Amino acid sequence: MSSSQDQGGRQSTFLGRLDRSKPHSFSIPAKKINDGDDLAFFLASTAYRDLIIWLLQLNRSMFPTRDDDGKIAPSDLTLPPPYSVRIQSLQRIMQALAGLIDKAPPNTGPRRFGNVAFRDWFKLAETEAAGLLQQNLGDALQLESEEGNEALGGELIAYLLGSFGSAQRLDYGTGHELSFLAFLGCLWKLGVFEQGEERGIVMGVVQPYLELMRTLILTYTLEPAGSHGVWGLDDHSFAPYIFGSAQFGPAIDPKAVNMPVPTEGSLQAAPSPSTVVKKDIVADYKDSNMYFAAIQFIYDVKKGPFWEHSPVLYDISDIKDGWGKINKGMLKMYAAEVLGKFPVVQHFPFGSFFAWERDEMALRQTSSVHMQQQPAVSKDVAQPPTRAVGTTAPWAQAGRTTGSGMSGMQASTRMATMRAPWAGNATAPLRPMSSTTSNVTTAPWATASRPALPGLGIVSTAVPWSAGQRGTQPPPPTGAPWAKKEEARR
Amino acid sequence: MSDLDKAIAQLRACRPIPENQVRELCYKARELLIEEGNVVSVDAPVTICGDIHGQFHDLMELFRVGGDVPETNYLFMGDFVDRGFYSLESFLLLLCLKVRYPDRITLIRGNHESRQITTVYGFYDECLRKYGSANVWRYCCEVFDYLALGALVLGASTELAPTNASIAADSQASLAEMEDVEIEILNSAGQIMNRLGRLPKQDQSQMTNPSSSPSQTQEASQNGAPGTGASGSSGGSSGNSTGAVLCVHGGLSPLIDTIDKIRLLDRKQEVPHEGAMCDLLWSDPDDIDGWGLSPRGAGFLFGADIVKCFNQKNDLSLICRAHQLVMEGFKEMFDNTIVTVWSAPNYCYRCGNVAAILELSEDGSNAGYAPRSNGDVGRSNGILQDRTPEQIMGPGRRYRVFDAAPQDSRGMPAKKPVADYFL
Ligand SMILES: [Mn+2]
Repeated sequence: MSSSQDQGGRQSTFLGRLDRSKPHSFSIPAKKINDGDDLAFFLASTAYRDLIIWLLQLNRSMFPTRDDDGKIAPSDLTLPPPYSVRIQSLQRIMQALAGLIDKAPPNTGPRRFGNVAFRDWFKLAETEAAGLLQQNLGDALQLESEEGNEALGGELIAYLLGSFGSAQRLDYGTGHELSFLAFLGCLWKLGVFEQGEERGIVMGVVQPYLELMRTLILTYTLEPAGSHGVWGLDDHSFAPYIFGSAQFGPAIDPKAVNMPVPTEGSLQAAPSPSTVVKKDIVADYKDSNMYFAAIQFIYDVKKGPFWEHSPVLYDISDIKDGWGKINKGMLKMYAAEVLGKFPVVQHFPFGSFFAWERDEMALRQTSSVHMQQQPAVSKDVAQPPTRAVGTTAPWAQAGRTTGSGMSGMQASTRMATMRAPWAGNATAPLRPMSSTTSNVTTAPWATASRPALPGLGIVSTAVPWSAGQRGTQPPPPTGAPWAKKEEARR
Repeated sequence: MSDLDKAIAQLRACRPIPENQVRELCYKARELLIEEGNVVSVDAPVTICGDIHGQFHDLMELFRVGGDVPETNYLFMGDFVDRGFYSLESFLLLLCLKVRYPDRITLIRGNHESRQITTVYGFYDECLRKYGSANVWRYCCEVFDYLALGALVLGASTELAPTNASIAADSQASLAEMEDVEIEILNSAGQIMNRLGRLPKQDQSQMTNPSSSPSQTQEASQNGAPGTGASGSSGGSSGNSTGAVLCVHGGLSPLIDTIDKIRLLDRKQEVPHEGAMCDLLWSDPDDIDGWGLSPRGAGFLFGADIVKCFNQKNDLSLICRAHQLVMEGFKEMFDNTIVTVWSAPNYCYRCGNVAAILELSEDGSNAGYAPRSNGDVGRSNGILQDRTPEQIMGPGRRYRVFDAAPQDSRGMPAKKPVADYFL
């Protein structure tokens, strides 16, 4: 399926919709990214294109607006647009999922870190997901055939349940956040939302989702998936920094949908980016702005100087060219550090909405930078990212060159990625594990199942909770690309 | 003052040393480490430490609580770098101390001491940010390849070194009376928080996690005046020798059934993605039988049966490892046959855990003395020849527990240029 319209090579401003009058076969999303080559394919796929379009579409909606008389309307969480019935339905789903926490109280006994009661919550969510979708969005999702309906439900549920972290590892990161954005993208493609209500989607659905996640993280002490400690943007999330910086960007004309959004300057009333280091100012804006809400959460969970536990955000706070500049940087960084990182996107499953298909408009496949941290590329896997000619930055630009909608969103590599490097869905059977899995470093090279040790009776089984693989066979054990012994260093 | 002492002073002040000094330091460290066997022999008394992860100020707190180098003999079980803000200062300081006092500090390799892991988990970015180039990262990675894979502590006593420590105000005064103490837990002020007496061997299964089950029978012992910790001093304890203590970052490997097999590995390379060397750095103990797949995607899970069998076969009284956050700073498992020691308090600024270090005291008879030897394949543990393996008593274990260092004294660095994304 290729549902986005490309107009003369330009990237679309709006994510394409499904023609519901025509037959369409839904499919349970499946993992496709198993090595660096797969990642390169992903970066030139229609799924990647659609994720970018959808992200930019939502991002645009979060800028303040200026009407014909020059009057500026802020973009403020406390002044949301009227929510449609569909957005209210999704809010009920979020509320119902939050309500499940009461039925899965955190264990109080001794534990290492992550609370295993999260697995109870997750199981409840799995049980309820289909019913919640049917109950709240059933009218919007109806198909003619029962099988079709089932397949559609399965596809949506895979992305929805992929949004809440890993029950096995008791962690949560940007890969899960991406799954939620994809879930909403599926609903858009299905026509659940009207054009023009994107801000309602972000403020009315994404923000409550982020709040639910913060509650889950605190309740069950979920680990940052593949934590980079201080060297990531944020332990768990990325989207609020994109949408929140847009909220403080210069006002735009909401009708000029083909105009690029501002890439510098700020809304006049916006606080300076440097105020993120001031706790009292962060508290003032946390209820109205998504960026500040995310910073507030950092202050809630971390002890210590901000510049030390969050040096990347601290450096960004020094940017003088305003929130527009920060927004542009966040989008570029997201493309590189989330969508472009094997450890993060390897778990992303592909179905009929986000399809594992080559995007003919992607002019050039991404070059080597993305493949630096994945298996099967070079023997010298751990060499730092290569430098691009003419720049001193070691996180050289990679070249997915796309249409103008992607202007400036080159993929590049720099800060450690946010999410667990591989710990593939199928690495370990889900056993009642009392003491393992939290706060662990996971090996960045592991992709799917590891080969069992001969003679040890270790059997790699499918992970039953895995949202990405519901109803599918686990991928066969990939030939371990790293088994090739690396050359001696000297 | 030698250049090395100057570098130590500068790093103790948390200031990185210039790139050319790093290169020189790493070169010297490599020359030293290349002479060490895969399994370094270390004599008690020794203070064993777990993950540091770039938490420099907490490392300083560790030295305050455990005593300074060279007065205290230290063994660090790896994961010096990644995640924290000061991986560079922490690792370079430890490396300087190693070069300056090679017999007073032992560094073994953790799974983060690897090119591939440090490019993903922060150390690479940190070097880039602090030096503007990856050279220092490269020098450090070359040292990583030479770090030993494990250490064998010899000559540890079954009894704790005498202490002048007082009983912490909120602990039971009766602790002072206790005899035959096997485990003693001290707070960062050097006061005794808890003591656990040695149980008859058949009852040891009750002792799972001492810090969460403090209700053991307590007997009389002598109380001393408040004072310094006994760390590193030759206390002259008159206890019996215990079996050797194997220290390794992660744990065991299905490919390794004797310590001699570790000695035979070719370690001078990047940590492989699988195999014995990988497992030693990546595996975790777990409540399973036998071996299990690790959710980490590297190494294995191993159960109590594996540990007990390995310890018996190798005349070990204890395996000491790091690698997993434990909220109480340490956790003994499997009838006290293995302990996890974690030395990064309030890990990642948010986990709320305390940290611990483990002190093993010296056997008064010095029977276990063996000079630090290199590549000593085939060494047998002579001190145990006259006893059956089941009789090996665990070493007396003094845990010092500490919190994250106070933050008020830290200076704020200049803001750095942001990443390319924001230009
Ligand atoms: Mn480790």
